[in-house]
Amino acid sequence: MNLIVLIKKSSVELSLKKVGVMVMKELTGRIVNIQKYSVHDGPGIRDLVFMKGCPLKCIWCSNPETQSPSFQLAYNSKRCIGVESCGYCVKECAQEVFTINGKNNIEMDRSKCINCLKCVNICCSKALHVFGTDMTVDEVFKKTQNQTDTWRSNGGVTISGGEPLLQADFVTALLKKYKTVGVHTAIETTGYAPWERLEQVARWCNLIFYDIKILNKQKHNNYTGVDNSVILQNIKKLTEKFPDIEIIVRTPVIPNINNQEKDIINIVKFLDGLDNLNDYELLPYHGYGSSKYLQLGMTYKLEGIGSLEKEPIYELNQRIRKMLNLRKKV
Amino acid sequence: MAMNACCLTEQEKRIESGAGQLSPRQRINGFLSNFRDQIPRIDIQRAVLFTESMSQTENYPMNIRRAKALNYVLNHIDVVIEDNELIVGTCGGAGRHSILFPEVRGPWFEKALRGAQKSKAFQISDEDIQVIKEKVIPYWKGKSAHERYLAMLPPDTREVIYGNDNWGSAGLLQDNANINTTLNWAGNYKKVIDKGILEIKKEMQERLNKVPDSDYSKMAFLQSAIIVCDGIMGYATRYANKARQLALKEKDPKRKEELEMIARNCERVPAHPARSFWEALQCQWFVQTAYKLEQPTVGVISLGRFDQYMYSTFNKDYQAGVIDEERALELMECLWFKIANYVPFNITATQNYFEGYCHFEQTVLGGQTKDGHDATNELTYLILRSKKEFPLHYPDLSVRVHSRTPDRLLRAIVELIKEGTGFPKLLNDEEIIPFILQNGVSIQEVRDYVPCGCTEVRLLDIDTYMAVGCNLNTPAALEMAMNDGVVDIDGTKKKLMAPSIKATDIKTYEDLLQNFTEAWDFLVQHYYKRQAALEISNAACLAAPFMSMLNDACVESLTDIHQPIRGHGLSKDTGNLSVIGFGTVVESLAAIKKLIFEEKKITLDELKKALEANFEGHERLRQILLNAPQYGNNDDFATEVARQADEIICDVVRRYRTPNGPQNLKHVPVTTHVAMGRKMNATPNGRKAGEALSEGISPTQGRDTEGPLVTLLSIAKAKSNLYNNSLSRLTNIKISPQILTGEKGTRDLMAFIRTFVDLKLWHIQFAVINKDTLIKAQKEPEKYRNLIVRVAGYSAYFTELSPDLQNEIINRTEHQMC
Repeated sequence: MNLIVLIKKSSVELSLKKVGVMVMKELTGRIVNIQKYSVHDGPGIRDLVFMKGCPLKCIWCSNPETQSPSFQLAYNSKRCIGVESCGYCVKECAQEVFTINGKNNIEMDRSKCINCLKCVNICCSKALHVFGTDMTVDEVFKKTQNQTDTWRSNGGVTISGGEPLLQADFVTALLKKYKTVGVHTAIETTGYAPWERLEQVARWCNLIFYDIKILNKQKHNNYTGVDNSVILQNIKKLTEKFPDIEIIVRTPVIPNINNQEKDIINIVKFLDGLDNLNDYELLPYHGYGSSKYLQLGMTYKLEGIGSLEKEPIYELNQRIRKMLNLRKKV
Repeated sequence: MAMNACCLTEQEKRIESGAGQLSPRQRINGFLSNFRDQIPRIDIQRAVLFTESMSQTENYPMNIRRAKALNYVLNHIDVVIEDNELIVGTCGGAGRHSILFPEVRGPWFEKALRGAQKSKAFQISDEDIQVIKEKVIPYWKGKSAHERYLAMLPPDTREVIYGNDNWGSAGLLQDNANINTTLNWAGNYKKVIDKGILEIKKEMQERLNKVPDSDYSKMAFLQSAIIVCDGIMGYATRYANKARQLALKEKDPKRKEELEMIARNCERVPAHPARSFWEALQCQWFVQTAYKLEQPTVGVISLGRFDQYMYSTFNKDYQAGVIDEERALELMECLWFKIANYVPFNITATQNYFEGYCHFEQTVLGGQTKDGHDATNELTYLILRSKKEFPLHYPDLSVRVHSRTPDRLLRAIVELIKEGTGFPKLLNDEEIIPFILQNGVSIQEVRDYVPCGCTEVRLLDIDTYMAVGCNLNTPAALEMAMNDGVVDIDGTKKKLMAPSIKATDIKTYEDLLQNFTEAWDFLVQHYYKRQAALEISNAACLAAPFMSMLNDACVESLTDIHQPIRGHGLSKDTGNLSVIGFGTVVESLAAIKKLIFEEKKITLDELKKALEANFEGHERLRQILLNAPQYGNNDDFATEVARQADEIICDVVRRYRTPNGPQNLKHVPVTTHVAMGRKMNATPNGRKAGEALSEGISPTQGRDTEGPLVTLLSIAKAKSNLYNNSLSRLTNIKISPQILTGEKGTRDLMAFIRTFVDLKLWHIQFAVINKDTLIKAQKEPEKYRNLIVRVAGYSAYFTELSPDLQNEIINRTEHQMC
């Protein structure tokens, strides 16, 4: 007898295989969060799907939870009610990851953690929580389709991350699904992936937000951890091959890293050689992500760097648009 | 986080820069300069004059007595014309004032006036209190409408509602009977503006000539109508004379001319049809003044479809070049000031069930014409502009929206919403019209409906009076369901009823629902008992000849509006039984169902112990409750719980009737959810004792975390739609200004409102404000005294609200996404 079971958990898959059940594993994507009512990532009111895992490690990253492709335990001390009222994590963790640090708070020794995530289930206030969940295409679709009314108005879905191209098969399947119901689709990508993957995903997009962070190779390497050659080659191919897709290049402007006008002008010169570019946006740095570094036990190298005045950046952006013959779309 | 300049609302920018709001119109600024520094003054003229007349007419029928009393007040009250006014007439002297209605709650005044004096919420002199004590209270003792109502209430109902204070409320059923208003009504201004009182008087006289000699009650109706016609015309004549006198003495030629114009206006209206926009506005205010002097209304005399009935004179004058937009705005804003100056008397301005000097003279714009086309006109846009530029939060403003509302109007609405003062609220024709249609009224009549109160609506010439309903503490029903009928209110435990399943025998979620149904039934039965008593006692004590004269249903049957009118008109409400704490209850039920009966993580006993202790020593349990599936996040489990609860709530309400018929339910708390919450113990949704209950149909403040659209979808899914008795569901959405910036922000909110229309939700209003601003305003009230915020169905000055209500507003979820 050939029993076919549709499942998504690979552990179950193994045990089923042991008992001779033929398993057809459904495609899943690893997602950090689905944000509703997003208004800054494409036209209209949108759902924003954050994919987990990114090949870049930008030191200013405001979504550090999307960098690692693994499930990650996080601890939000603001939500924790303290060991006096609770303390179950200290009692239950066999690895002794948690200790009481004198006051009422807990401290974590992440080196002992085996990522069993049992503590997450016993935490009453969700102070301990996991970044990352595996979802099927249909699950993501269901979670976002309750926004149909907005899509009808003018919005859509934007796949962000992390790097969507790291999970290109899943993202392609998801975008296809939206296309079948006529939903406007967008991705936000670093462009750091083999061309084939970008091409595969791009054909299902109405809009691509494409980051070019720094033009100088060495500097790019220093601050993001990767070489930018692929990124620059890919955007060229993308604009040539897909003249019908709306493409917006973005540069996050980071204090003391690329906020000199010459840093930006270098990028502009490069962009000048591209066809079919729809817009170029400068995104002023913000430090909203710093609390998440803390939750993940990571160090935020730009802590306390302060924010940039937005007005001069908007003005510069407008001047660049004129230089590049780009007209800002509303 | 530092506030970003690009994300402040216009209102916030004005306050931050210390500018305060000024009107572009000089005359209006002149009025404004002393408005905000005035504590409303209690003017006793109406109470004294009314009592004088009533004490001399005891042998007449009630409507004649009321007519004579109103006539007497109109002919003897001080005639006051303030500097630079263009619209004249006042219910009680100059400036911000309040008046008294001893016929309703007279015996309570001594205590209430002293309290008001002490709390500094209102000003009244010792001499005036003495006059009230000597000349007013003694006459009304034992005769007031409220005492009649109390005498009629069954003792157990009276106990449940009032506990040991017959003039207050215990917190289970917050009774609006006779507190501030005897009815919600929308004035029929169009009739007087178009016809004139003389014509109406002539019609009454002709009808009177035809009444058979012995039909005294019909004769009394018409005689009283004629008396009030004379009363209001006499009042206008007194103003005409006063204006002439002032004009003679006036040195400034420009003001002299204005006073002469005012005199001519008052000679013309309301006796004759209004010919100009100015006359129409003056007529509107005279009619409104008569409504206000006739009976208490908390200012729930809606201004009605202002842009519709004012349009013809506006357009005529505008086309002829008699007025331009600026002049039209100035004239209207003079009327807005008259409205702002009339403050209903509450015990205190804060710490009450109606906080922040609220009054709801709702002005409604847009909607549809009787033949079903969009009704928007140029005056619609001008009034929206006035709301942006006029510095006060009166009158209340609403817009009727529907599937064919033009984008231009939606845009103007959104631009006003972005100001951040909470205006306008929106009412959805696509939901409201079908609901009223089921009463068997023609579609043409229904399309002309008029909102009044917070979210309720009326048909001007068809609907008749409804005795005012009351608020029911729904979480208290759940508490009784879990505790053998015992409820802990204000620190006192009372056993009120016995649910059929003993607390120790509750084994399933269905058991609990069974008990909840019975406890809710208990509260609803008391509601109906009080409603019946009120309908009967009000009919015996009250009459409103002026209001009745302007209602076709009353005139057809020659019956006063406070009497049951059989065969003519509709005795239907659009929500009278007010469900308080729906979100609190469904969140509690969802937590119980999930954690106790499905996952068995906790027991009912553990939960009850934690609630009893107000979660002290049980914080872990409280956290688990807080993290249960939440209504408001479009969670399937939680929305199904909500839908089922809605079904039970509606089903129980339709089991009973009053002498006038069945009652509908609504979700309109005003500020009752704060007041009731203050008296309530902890609840299973993790809410601590004393904290506010949830508001309207919304989830508990701060629990909906998935953005405003998901909140709307949840609210839409919670509608059980099995019965047709759930109307007036009030939704409050708080949005961070950050997501509304620029043209894109405008378009996004326009799309959002279209979605609201499509989802067929009754009502929505937006609070667009940064949380930081509210927190700063709590710390530095002086700097933020002009900050206007959306409370419930109305807007108020934030710093005039009680700290509890301020916190409740701060805690409403601010939908902020990047």
